[in-house]
Parts: sequence; structure tokens; C-alpha cells
Amino acid sequence: MTRIIEIPTHFDDRSFDQFAASFGAWPPEERLLFDARQAQWASPYGLIAMLTAAQALAEAKRERPLFAVPQSDDVRRYWARAGFFRHAADLFELHGRVPRATAGPSDVLLDVTPVRAADDVHGVVNTIPEAAARILHGELGLEMKATMRFSMALSEACQNIVEHAGTGGWVAVQTYSWRRRLGRRVVVIAVSDAGIGFRRSLETSHAKRFGDRWGDGAALEAALIQGVSRFRDPGRGQGLAFIKRFVDQWNGKISIRSGTAKLSIVPTWDDEDPLVEHLPFFPGAQVQIIIPAQEAEPK
Amino acid sequence: MIQTIRLDHLLREEVATPYRHLVTRRTGAAVRSGIERALAASACHTALLDFTEVDLLDLSCADEIVAKLLMNPGPASERCVVLQGLREDQLEAVEHVLNHHRLAVAAVLADDAPPDLLGCADDDARAAFAQVRNAGPTDAPSLAGALAWAEPRARAALDALASLRLARFVDGLFHPVTVR
Repeated sequence: MTRIIEIPTHFDDRSFDQFAASFGAWPPEERLLFDARQAQWASPYGLIAMLTAAQALAEAKRERPLFAVPQSDDVRRYWARAGFFRHAADLFELHGRVPRATAGPSDVLLDVTPVRAADDVHGVVNTIPEAAARILHGELGLEMKATMRFSMALSEACQNIVEHAGTGGWVAVQTYSWRRRLGRRVVVIAVSDAGIGFRRSLETSHAKRFGDRWGDGAALEAALIQGVSRFRDPGRGQGLAFIKRFVDQWNGKISIRSGTAKLSIVPTWDDEDPLVEHLPFFPGAQVQIIIPAQEAEPK
Repeated sequence: MIQTIRLDHLLREEVATPYRHLVTRRTGAAVRSGIERALAASACHTALLDFTEVDLLDLSCADEIVAKLLMNPGPASERCVVLQGLREDQLEAVEHVLNHHRLAVAAVLADDAPPDLLGCADDDARAAFAQVRNAGPTDAPSLAGALAWAEPRARAALDALASLRLARFVDGLFHPVTVR
């Protein structure tokens, strides 16, 4: 029997829970068909979520899932240019015509990129600076000094995979117009892994302190708000603190989803609840960092 | 004697990377090991870590290189450490890790400028650091006179500087950290 995983027509962090819910108990026993035929758009978060799910299935020794590619030529082309199909071909049995990837679209700062080891983080930060300067400063109006800090935040976010996930993951960075939600352009860093998640990563060292409250939400609070780490090294835990400060400085948003909970540092322009629990389970951790275009100073 | 260690050179040697980014803990640990090896083979009293040709320095790498170098017992624990060539974003990363660990280090923040004190030090240590830097080698009675402090206060501040390796105690005098 095959279970259909419907890919949301607009696949981003808001429609992610619908995607996660469609798996049922994890890992599903049936073979899966990811049906993206009706897909109209996917954020970097959505693109790497699909790869993360397929990776988690492979690691759980499940049958290779099927993937029905979008019917829209534009969507197929865009996903190809963002590097999605290059990696999807290794994880899915693809059905439908996949266009050859041409050079990436100008609003993609970083193609969908695997992160498995420290060397991959070097590759990521080496790819970013020129495009980051052009887009962050030129299009989003951030000061030039934000460019390097953006790369630092990206580096730290990717290192969370290498240091904590216990397996590989994915990163993608893209800019796009957020007309309905914000009325401005944003740059989005999406990082996702299929690893052990925050709760298991911190359980041995921190669960006792939380008692009955311990769970995915408490683990996210411990990591993002209190800056704790599973390592005894007192230098650990500074990466997320830096990202939080960077996001705050530029009126951005960070959200981390792990297991069944999602914790966000919510700016005034957003209305998401800071902590949402009892969500459909999804393996590993998914981080999204959003930096909006800066509003012009009133004259 | 002052030994200058170029971090971009060390990065190439230790990690064999074509990049000039100091990112990831693994890279930082490898570079720190290189610094410690260089210092173990040197008779220098001051290590000048030159970041000039480094592009990106992330928190993890700053923690591994700067904070752990200052905290670990080893060849660097006997020397003064001075940083130079830090851009604004790199400076921010270094200050973040210094404050996190309540550490301090000397840094040259502008060409031809004398070292400044970065990180976590109390007001007396900062005042003593500035006085020693500006007026040259001193002892507790002289510092007390210059800053209108009681002598025990001056002595405590100078001892704190020496323990943080922000001054060198030689022949009964506390000497400023210098890079030339």
C-alpha cells in the first residue's frame, strides 16, 4: 500500500504542519508518494523539508519514496534551478519530467545544499558573501556590516547540524517578496536535519532540571532562550545566542521546530505564537531565520 | 621578543583549505593547536595573533581560538596574547566569547595604535591597563600616586593585570603589553 503525502500548493513554514501530519506515525510503514503535482510555490524551508523527510525515511530503512513532480513548468524549472531535484534524485524515485538545472535564479543566495560535515560549512560560507552583499545591502537596505554577520549566523546555524544532529541536513537561502505577510522583501535562511532533535540531544544533561515539563518545547526553550548545550564545554551554546542577537538587531524572526514543538522569537510584524506544542511529529530540527528589508527612515 | 602569527597562514597549513574563513569548531581547534605548537617552540614573551587576511570569523571559531587559548594551560598561558587586524564583525565575535567566559585580552584596534583591552575586566584593571600602557613600566606605589589610589588597590589592580596577562611583571615592575 502507498500513502500519499500531499505537498501543499504553497509550501512554507506555515503549511509545514499539514505536511508533517500526513506521515502519521513515524516512520510510516507504507511506501510514500510525495505528490507535488499541484505545487505552485515552495520556500527554501519547504524544499529542504521534503529532502529531510526522504533522508529520514532512508535512515529508517524504509522503501525509497516516490515523488510526483509539479505539473507547472515554472515551478519545476524554479525547483531545478534552486538545486532541489539534484538532491531529490538521490532520495526519491522521481516521476514526471525534471528540467535540467540551469544557473540558479538571482534571488537564490544559496542553492539547496547538503551539510554533513564541517567542510560543508566552509563551502556554504564561501559561496555566500558576494550575493549576500548584493542582496542584503542593495535590495534589503541592510548596512554593509550586516553582511558578514549574516554569514556568521548562517555558519552557526549550519554547525548545529554538524555538532548536534547526529546525521546530515540541508540548508538553502533565498530572498523573496512577502507581500501578504509583511509587504516587504525578506531573506530567508532555512536549515533542516533529520537527526535526533533538540529533546534527545539535551535529554541526558538537562531533562532532570525540567522534571515533568521536559519535552520538545522545554528542550527548545533551554537551547534558544537559556543557551544550554549538551556539551560540558562552557563555550558551547553561543551560536544560537549570536543568531538571536543578529535577528533582533535587524528586526527579524527565528523559529526552530523540533519533534512536536516550535519556538519562535517573534518580531512585532508577525503574529505567530512564541511556543506551539503538540504539533505533528517530524524528525530532526528545522530552523528558519527571516530578515526583512529595512524600512526607509521617515523624511 | 614578540612572535607574530598570521592566522590566514595557519589556516592554510592546519586545515589545507583554500578559504580564508575561520569557521567551525574543528577549524578553530586545529588553528589553536598550530598556535600552541608555534609558541611551544618560541622564546617570545608576547604572541601577536594577526587576523588581517582573515575574511570571516564565527563565534565557534573565536571560542576555540581566542577563548580556549587564554583558558588552557599550555604554551600560551605563559605569554601575553595580543590580537590585531580584527574587523568590526570579527571584533564583535571575539568580544562575545570573551564576555561569555569572563576573559580579557589586549588588541591593537587601529594601525600604529597601542593595544586596548577587550572583554571582561573591572574598572580598576582597565584604569591600571591604560596607565601602564600610557606611562610605561610601573609598580604599585607609582600607580597609586598616578591614579590617587591607596597602594593596596593599585597592587590588586596590577596583580589582576598580570594574572590576565595584560601586563608583564619583570624585575619588580609591571610592563605594558607591546607589539613593537
